[in-house]
Amino acid sequence: MHIMEGFLPTPWWQAWFAVSIPVILYGIHKMNRLVNEKREILPLLAVAGAFIFVLSSLKLPSVTGSCSHPTGTGIAAIIFGPAISAVLGTIVLLYQALFLAHGGFTTLGANVFSMGIVGPVAVYLVYKAGMKTKLNFYAVVFLATAFGDWATYVTTSVELALAYPAGGALTFAGFMSSFGKFAAVFAITQLPLAIMEGAVSALLFKYVVNVKSDILVEMKVLEDAVVRKLRGTSA
Amino acid sequence: MTNILDDYALMSPLRHKNNWLKLTIVLFGLLVGVSSTSPITPLFIALCMSFTTVALGRAPLKLYLKLLLAPVGFAFTGVVIIAFFSGSGQEILSFELAGYPFSVKADGLELALLVLSRSLSGMCCLYFLSLTTPMIELFAVLKASRLPESLIELSMLIYRYIFVFLDMAMSIKYAQTVRLGYSNFRRSLSSIGMLGSTLFIRSWEQGDKLFLAMNSRCYDGKMTLFEVNRPVRAVELLLTSAYFLSALALFYFTKNISIV
Repeated sequence: MHIMEGFLPTPWWQAWFAVSIPVILYGIHKMNRLVNEKREILPLLAVAGAFIFVLSSLKLPSVTGSCSHPTGTGIAAIIFGPAISAVLGTIVLLYQALFLAHGGFTTLGANVFSMGIVGPVAVYLVYKAGMKTKLNFYAVVFLATAFGDWATYVTTSVELALAYPAGGALTFAGFMSSFGKFAAVFAITQLPLAIMEGAVSALLFKYVVNVKSDILVEMKVLEDAVVRKLRGTSA
Repeated sequence: MTNILDDYALMSPLRHKNNWLKLTIVLFGLLVGVSSTSPITPLFIALCMSFTTVALGRAPLKLYLKLLLAPVGFAFTGVVIIAFFSGSGQEILSFELAGYPFSVKADGLELALLVLSRSLSGMCCLYFLSLTTPMIELFAVLKASRLPESLIELSMLIYRYIFVFLDMAMSIKYAQTVRLGYSNFRRSLSSIGMLGSTLFIRSWEQGDKLFLAMNSRCYDGKMTLFEVNRPVRAVELLLTSAYFLSALALFYFTKNISIV
């Protein structure tokens, strides 16, 4: 769901930068504090960032025929929280623009907002809410990642519709009509894709719990008791 | 798929030019492209940048065209939506599909062409940067631009590990494919889940090792970089300013021109 370079006209790309930069700065502030507290976290954050990049360059098998790739930020949001995922997401998006020509420099602000901020925040909220309701952990991961993807896709449609409202001038009716159109076209690939990514993320966590669950306990993603219960049921 | 643009940048003869000059050219192209109001200026920028990348930067032409085609898909979907649904002027094309009326209006088409050309010029500028400037050179620029230290540090480490993990992911994927791991839809789902989790666990262990290795070499949160001093030659300066001036002139004179 990257917005191409040059796709957003003048007032909008600056506006999205203005929205994203404070969040990234907050993320950096939070990251600095975490790094000062626990110095061994910086290499871990780095490999997590590289992991997001590599995961997003893998192609998912897609039902609609078009190849699509996972965003990968959902997993980072569950493990590190949304603020740090925003920083990681920004760096990964910059590399994607440079290496793979996904997205671009002027649209970086908008892309960071949809994929690095709104997506992870949605993932985190759904994840926290789900864990409170005592649902199965894997089901929660599935739901959180899928909702995060949908939030990203709705945000991208909003960004495009704000820049190109129907009828030329920005009115509420024009915005809504154009939003509906962008959302409908992207829905063809994004609705099934989000479900796919949710399934893959849940599977990923399942393998991690089975093989190396101490990572998750250490990062306070799961409590020891939950892990033991999960391993008991899934073994 | 594994070929990252960086590989070509390392071989490009333009690699040894001044980084700031290249960055200025790219930023200039991006800004003028995105703020122009007629499709002519962005197309001019796209042409100039493509010429520089292919002729002076020795990027293979076939690869370059293939690269340009790839992101056009997304741009095209967006542009089609804009062409059909925005604008209010005279209709130039209209038909009915499954009971719904579709029509392209003159100013909608104008806007769609403008957006397509802006996208194209932006892509050409980005490709110029990524096909001629390896990331290593850009880190020195980032350092000099006074961004937060931890952000740059993190980007450098991420950059290093992208290559390690890409290799790892590719070999796992081959191994899975020859064992028919992607032979049907259900299997591919579980294979890709396995691939992701193995990658995650391995990268975590790698992170631990990295921390140990760096700590034992007295890592204190700062990596110093060596920036090669590359003076800008007069010819380069001349060419660049000629390009800037002609782009700006074109920008000024085609301000109010519409082509539809």
